[in-house]
Amino acid sequence: MASTLFRTIQIHPFLLYPTAICRRRNGVLYCTMKSTQTQTATQEKQQPPKVKVSQHTRSKTLEKITRDYEAIIGIETHVQLLTLTKAFCSCPYNYGCQPNTSICPICMGLPGALPVLNSKVIEFAVKLGLALNCKLSLNSKFDRKQYFYPDLPKGYQISQFDIPIATGGYIDLDLPLEFGGGHRKFGITRVHMEEDAGKLLHSGNGDYSQVDLNRAGVPLLEIVSEPDMRTGIEAAEYAAELQRVVRYLGVSNGNMQEGSLRCDVNVSIRPVGQSEFGTKVEIKNLNSFSSINRAIDFEIARQVSLHSQGHGDQIVQETRLWEEGAQKTVTMRKKEGLADYRYFPEPDLPEVILTQEYVDGIHNSLPELPEMKRRRYEKMGLSMQDVLFLANDVNVAEYFDATISRGADFKLAANWIMGDIAAYMKNEKLSIKEIKLMPEELVELIASIKSGTISGKIGKEILFELLAKGGTVKGLIEEKDLVQIVDPVEIAKMVDKVLSENPKQLEQYRGGKTKLQGFFAGQVMRISKGKANPGLLNKILLEKLNVKS
Amino acid sequence: MGSRALLVLTNFKFKSSSAYSSSKPFYLIKSSPTIRKFSTKTRSSLQPPDVPRLAETARISLAPNEVEEFAPKIRQVIDWFGQLQAVDLDSVEPAIRADTEGDNLREDVPETFENKEALIAYVPSYEEPYIKVPKVLNKE
Repeated sequence: MASTLFRTIQIHPFLLYPTAICRRRNGVLYCTMKSTQTQTATQEKQQPPKVKVSQHTRSKTLEKITRDYEAIIGIETHVQLLTLTKAFCSCPYNYGCQPNTSICPICMGLPGALPVLNSKVIEFAVKLGLALNCKLSLNSKFDRKQYFYPDLPKGYQISQFDIPIATGGYIDLDLPLEFGGGHRKFGITRVHMEEDAGKLLHSGNGDYSQVDLNRAGVPLLEIVSEPDMRTGIEAAEYAAELQRVVRYLGVSNGNMQEGSLRCDVNVSIRPVGQSEFGTKVEIKNLNSFSSINRAIDFEIARQVSLHSQGHGDQIVQETRLWEEGAQKTVTMRKKEGLADYRYFPEPDLPEVILTQEYVDGIHNSLPELPEMKRRRYEKMGLSMQDVLFLANDVNVAEYFDATISRGADFKLAANWIMGDIAAYMKNEKLSIKEIKLMPEELVELIASIKSGTISGKIGKEILFELLAKGGTVKGLIEEKDLVQIVDPVEIAKMVDKVLSENPKQLEQYRGGKTKLQGFFAGQVMRISKGKANPGLLNKILLEKLNVKS
Repeated sequence: MGSRALLVLTNFKFKSSSAYSSSKPFYLIKSSPTIRKFSTKTRSSLQPPDVPRLAETARISLAPNEVEEFAPKIRQVIDWFGQLQAVDLDSVEPAIRADTEGDNLREDVPETFENKEALIAYVPSYEEPYIKVPKVLNKE
């Protein structure tokens, strides 16, 4: 099934502008990463003819890169937290609400207004810190980071500087099979709490900009990775795994299109064997996993090309923007030395103190995380393809877990979910939480087929009925009289009837045209309304067909 | 205006005397070369403040005569806080914050600020529904 999903998606990149795909992707599909990745995979591997020219040059460069150069990639991710209120004031935050309505003196930075920290921010930071295997600072603090920009009304951002709440962790992930698969572990340097700035809109023509302060003061966690990634795919998968982790934890919706998960990527290259790093370039404006992947691969190719032609000095420390339309990075601003943020401890907020008890409590309440789920599914004997599909979306994983905890066969449950159920959700643009088929009914369905109460074919019909209308398997079987006929006498009667009604075909069969067995089987199945047990039917049919020969 | 620069300095000075004298590395000092001058432990080595640069980082325009006027005043404040350098901290565990009262946290319960009209009325340039600001494209 997974492959059906992929096949449908791969058409998009060549029909639409990539930006359009990005926007569509999330709406249409419930599993973002999978689809995004595959879309890239398709571009690179499965449909070379359509992108022949660029593909050719690109693969040549890529070849050179892997032979002579090594890319060093680190990622800074900002995750917007799913709190009801902002970090330091009680203003509610809802994405997309009327501009400048969710504001108060605190988030507007008015004189005399004092911040008070939202306890949920600490809880979520501890959750994510633990999920990323970090060491937590039981005592940490907030600092002011000064910069002047109209989306930051106070003139500084409340952040954490030298003592972040969590440090020194790692994240585990599995690369998709389309990229050769394999397990990766990437280091996490730190996780810290901070507030978001407002939204700045640049009017097209006028000489002014517009500010919406609704987002000012919304809590963020910034996750800084170690420079452990080497390719665009690794970086995109790192981001996708972070998205899975925050969604599993329920600390963020991780939605890249809304900017709830934002990645800034640092890329540098060095000749293989060189120990010091090259000049690093930061890339911004990456709002999908596939753009992370493509922007990085573009940037690596750009830097390698400059370096290999002796223009290494033209790789300068700068911020570049990914242009989705042109599929390239362009200079946004050159950095002249480090910005002087003049950090100092935030005097308006007390120290953040965590007790070991509090941390342990959160640790014990952590849900099963994507990596643990994948390893568990793997141990159950599911294929890696199934494992990655099921664990990709926390809701799908929970659905699957609900079925197997009620005793459903693992492989059969996985097949139904990845097959007909996923196809239905895709067609109807529904998430697994919205379908009317309850996990316990899927269990019942699988059991009814397994026990022979209904045939597989009828099982499928029931499935679609339940998906659309709900109800119970037992109810439907009864209501529609769908119980499989397993009584040999009854089946024999039907076979006799069919044989007597088709003397000509029977003669042909007995004359050697044995292919006609299928015809008879079909006829019997038809008069049984699909309810005859196929194994039994064929057995009895064959006996009767061959009785005189 | 000038008081803002002073505020920044006082905060710094305060922390540097209490915490940064330990052997623990504080990146803060490294990234703020200007401020560092005021953070050194020995009082006698305090350099005169670089007022033009302070003004620049605080986005304040000062006339040359104002620079001259402010320099000794800022110096005075620094010296005043500089008295703290005399305290012997060798046997004191560095604190990351001054207060010890512990957490003052808030439940995640939304409350809408009622008098939004007053907030908007304070905005110098407002064009429904946005705050209007001069066009700025680059952050740094």
